[in-house]
Amino acid sequence: MGHLALRGVRIEVAGRALLDAFDLDILPGEFVAVVGANGVGKTTLLRAVGGIDAPAAGAVSLDGVELGALAPHRRAQLVAALSADPEAPNGMTVREVALSGRFARHPWWDWTRGDDDVEAVDAALGRVDLADKADRAFDTLSSGERQRAWIALALAQGARALLLDEPTSHLDARYALEVLELLHGIAREGTTVVAVLHDLNEASAFADRIAVLGEGRLLAYGAPAEVLDPAILQRAYGVDFRRIVIDGETRVFARSAKADGRLEGGRLNRDSGRI
Amino acid sequence: MLVIRLGGLAAVALGALVFGLFVGGSALPPRDVGWALLHPHGDGDVATIVWALRVPRVAIAGIVGAALAVAGFLLQGMLRNPLVDPFLTGVSAGAGAAIAIGVAVGVAAGLVPALGFVAGLGTALLVAALARRGSGIDVERLILAGVSLSALFSSFIALALVRLSQGGAEEILAWLAGSLAGRGWNEVLWTSPYLVAGLALAFVSVPSLNVLRLGPSVARGVGLDLARAQWVLLVASTLLTAAAVSLAGIVGFVGLIVPHIARGLFGTDARYALPASALIGVALVAVADAASRSLIAPQEIPLGVLLAFVGVPSFLYLYLRPRGTSRLWGT
Repeated sequence: MGHLALRGVRIEVAGRALLDAFDLDILPGEFVAVVGANGVGKTTLLRAVGGIDAPAAGAVSLDGVELGALAPHRRAQLVAALSADPEAPNGMTVREVALSGRFARHPWWDWTRGDDDVEAVDAALGRVDLADKADRAFDTLSSGERQRAWIALALAQGARALLLDEPTSHLDARYALEVLELLHGIAREGTTVVAVLHDLNEASAFADRIAVLGEGRLLAYGAPAEVLDPAILQRAYGVDFRRIVIDGETRVFARSAKADGRLEGGRLNRDSGRI
Repeated sequence: MLVIRLGGLAAVALGALVFGLFVGGSALPPRDVGWALLHPHGDGDVATIVWALRVPRVAIAGIVGAALAVAGFLLQGMLRNPLVDPFLTGVSAGAGAAIAIGVAVGVAAGLVPALGFVAGLGTALLVAALARRGSGIDVERLILAGVSLSALFSSFIALALVRLSQGGAEEILAWLAGSLAGRGWNEVLWTSPYLVAGLALAFVSVPSLNVLRLGPSVARGVGLDLARAQWVLLVASTLLTAAAVSLAGIVGFVGLIVPHIARGLFGTDARYALPASALIGVALVAVADAASRSLIAPQEIPLGVLLAFVGVPSFLYLYLRPRGTSRLWGT
């Protein structure tokens, strides 16, 4: 379970269409990375997929249930959506933050917390390796630990699909690696994971499939090796890319004119456009 | 642990209420007060003073304290802003303006509290209408609308004060300074439906307040219906504030400061901090009202004035002293 289907989705910001006639299928247990230039509509798309903001047209469904038609409560039982850079709450422990993920498991007015809540939170904190820091104040955590705590909150929701907006944006190489390995593992355990990523090589290394957005539509969708194609990426980002394959993994790099000069024998000749 | 502390706080609040019964404008021997309390149908001046004057007044002090403190807690949690007080939504300014105009045109004294209540609710509605965006409420628009309308209605009050004869101006001033003088069971009776409704809505908002601590975006992600939560919180705080204003006039400070004290003692979890706010509000206003009746008896110091004189410096000391907790939000 966890099949996300987008049909004819149209995404608008302030009345202007960013994406239109958008179809996408994300299969259960897949880790899908969404990439594309700034402002192309990745975040808005993720919010539409999560049912937080309804798309201007079209429908998003999870296992056949249309998310836009659900009350926020019911929707959050199916899909957990984490925005980019949530602010650190003051005066809350890591456990309390994770426990907030259980909100949708009770009627909105219900104060009580049951054994299933405690179990879900313990399991989520254990899964993100924060069990020993459960009673620490949230704002004493490092950036990487905070991101893992937010993921614990999303896991505690017990949803079938997990949506994350730039989960690695402020993390250094090691923390980013930890978070991506964690997300990859969560997908392998059966939860569908969709993450907006900026680093194409992170997407290449960890995602099962990559959705490249550009020119107001889905430019390409498929395995990293086929999608991370310099021609496609040029259309998405408006700059040239180089592609190399290391140990069977595709790596891409944006090329500047300066780099061109160096790569083509050390002579930089930008003015004439000739090398 | 927190439950035990909450129990202790309840005992303190009860103690403050009992203390209020033994203190007053007329110095009665404590033994006589105690006897009168144990014999509700007893005769004599002491029994009359205790049962007809002090008991309703102490009860009203507790109600006003709890209502304002809870209203402040709800609004601070909803707007995630520690500087918000229950009068932000224009309730006090609207009520004050209506009362000033009512006194100026000679409305019967008995109708004045009801007039203030209705005008306070009406102003809050207007502010909420101006702050609407989509199905929910825009926090910044709410603050802007509340502050602007409060300023407008304050100028109505000033105008009424300038134009009025001496007697009418005094009546208006008594409202503005906050006072429990001359209030009885009648006022409690007709405000009680609104108080009960406000407290019930506050009670069911506790889980929403708890996830709102994570910010509106995460709160929506975990399934909070943000628009509904905002409206419930706004309606609850407005009902409580309007009822408190019609009972006691404009008693400042309680709704701003008590939630801070509650969060300082109990943390930000609304399951504890909300009841703690109510209990601290009860204790604070009960003690302050006892002081206002007895410090310069037989005259009274207006409750709002006394609370501001004593409360604001102690609050500033608590938060602004060099080694104090400089963070207002949370613990």
